[in-house]
Amino acid sequence: MKISTTRFGDISIDESRIIRMKEGMLGFEHLKRYVLLTQDKETPFLWFQSVDDGSIAFVVIHSFVVKPDYEPVIPDAEVRLLGIESSGGEEVVVLSVVTIRSDPFTVMANLRAPIVVNAEKMVAKQVILVEGDYPVQYSLTENKAALEAQARKKRTMPPSIPAP
Amino acid sequence: MLILTRKLGETIRIGNEIEVTILDVKGKQVRIGIDAPSDVAIHREEIYQIIREQNILAAEAGRDDAIGGSLPHLWKRLKKAKEDGA
Repeated sequence: MKISTTRFGDISIDESRIIRMKEGMLGFEHLKRYVLLTQDKETPFLWFQSVDDGSIAFVVIHSFVVKPDYEPVIPDAEVRLLGIESSGGEEVVVLSVVTIRSDPFTVMANLRAPIVVNAEKMVAKQVILVEGDYPVQYSLTENKAALEAQARKKRTMPPSIPAP
Repeated sequence: MLILTRKLGETIRIGNEIEVTILDVKGKQVRIGIDAPSDVAIHREEIYQIIREQNILAAEAGRDDAIGGSLPHLWKRLKKAKEDGA
């Protein structure tokens, strides 16, 4: 199918690459389908682009790239909702929503409410973590040395689409 | 909204599986104990509000001049930025 986006114009997407969100993002509950768009291999950031509203896209990053010792405990209810079956959770990818401000330039990742993706079933939910007391705004600008080291490592990601 | 008055130590049941108990009242603060199945998400209302605001900000930030809609540009700019965020 073809979607029209504000940032990238028309994009052809294979339906198998659509990630379905059970409840949408908080504040964007009406938008349930997203695709991951990549712009190059260097940057650890991706776009989480709404399929249903071309003007809505979030910058996201693999949460373990942000914080290698991140230990999100996914509540049982969400594990069931997302159909996560393996005990090791190999099919699970955890993404953090990134906020960017220009003046002063700050980049923050939300470690408190990650997007948990079952990459096999291509379903996801933004989960509010109960345990761990992770911040909603974790500064990437302040932790960029660690980020640069982590960004070089390969991570499993759900299937994505190169942005035009 | 259903409004009930309860005394200290008294409980309200919601359905068969959820119990809400008033544990302590001190001035304007009330301590509440909640027993619910593990598949019921329980959070303070503020956290929903904060995350909603962050998401809205994030959706706007994607449009921001800071990165001009380009993730390679964001990465370059982040690598150049001082650790204090300047």
